[in-house]
Amino acid sequence: MVFLDIEINETVIIPPSELNPSSLLLRKAIILRLLNYISRKKASEEHGYYVAVRTLNTVGDGEVNGLTGDVHFPVSFNCATTKPYKGEILIGTIDRVRRQGIFLISGPIQNIFLSEKTMKDYQFNNIEEPVFVSANGQSKFEKGGNVRFRILGVKWIESDREFQVLGTIAGDFLGPV
Amino acid sequence: MSADEDENAAELKIGEEFLKAKCLMNCEVALILDRRLEQLQQMSDDPTNQMSQVFEKSHQYVKRFSRYKNQDAVKQVREILSRNKLAEFELCVLGNLCPETVEEAIAMVPSLKMEDDHMLLDMDPLTNMVQLSSSECSC
Repeated sequence: MVFLDIEINETVIIPPSELNPSSLLLRKAIILRLLNYISRKKASEEHGYYVAVRTLNTVGDGEVNGLTGDVHFPVSFNCATTKPYKGEILIGTIDRVRRQGIFLISGPIQNIFLSEKTMKDYQFNNIEEPVFVSANGQSKFEKGGNVRFRILGVKWIESDREFQVLGTIAGDFLGPV
Repeated sequence: MSADEDENAAELKIGEEFLKAKCLMNCEVALILDRRLEQLQQMSDDPTNQMSQVFEKSHQYVKRFSRYKNQDAVKQVREILSRNKLAEFELCVLGNLCPETVEEAIAMVPSLKMEDDHMLLDMDPLTNMVQLSSSECSC
């Protein structure tokens, strides 16, 4: 997975109770609000998952909202983000094994599905616990194992604010590792 | 989602602003997140609930899959890889996956196929990296 460090412009809203003549405390309030905002926002379709805010570049002049008394500060900062792309190769940990396929987790992406149709050489086996075993019994997919896969498609789910990924292991060097 | 038809990491079409952005390898992100964790613990009044889920999951993932544990190895790897004409994105994929042969590298990063004259040059840095990773790796 590739992590990108991008510059983002946002507006931070400070309520009048936190406005303070000392500029240091004001800066602290802005930073805390920004961190809170980003951690609640979690991810966006455009930038992907927000992992960590790295540096605060500039804070612009505040604009007072006449009705509520809040001050809007335009802020520019650098943030480490990660976004899954079609065609990308990732390593994921197996979370659930089902007859129709397996579910993987890779970093912040919780929702990756590998259909059993792409795993033609593997048989579903449900003796003690569900696993997919290869024809020669050498390799298998079980909960907790690692899989190298390629992303076939990515979908942004607005209601959960996360990405849904469809993967495949059809290709060289892909499969359980 | 009209962007999806054009976006394809295999051909390095990932949107302009991402091509220009700086890419971070797993090991670099591990160092960044470790430092953030320390800062959060020092700075907050309420240490129990400062980490978002995204932060925590990314931290676990990156710790698990980062090949090089110390900072000097990380700098060396980045330096070795930047000697070739690679896009930042390709550089990071190679640094993360550490392919051992040229074929594996092309399979991981299909956009490398377009620069076949440079393929011979690529082999040496890759073998250097594999040696570095086997001496430093403690996963």
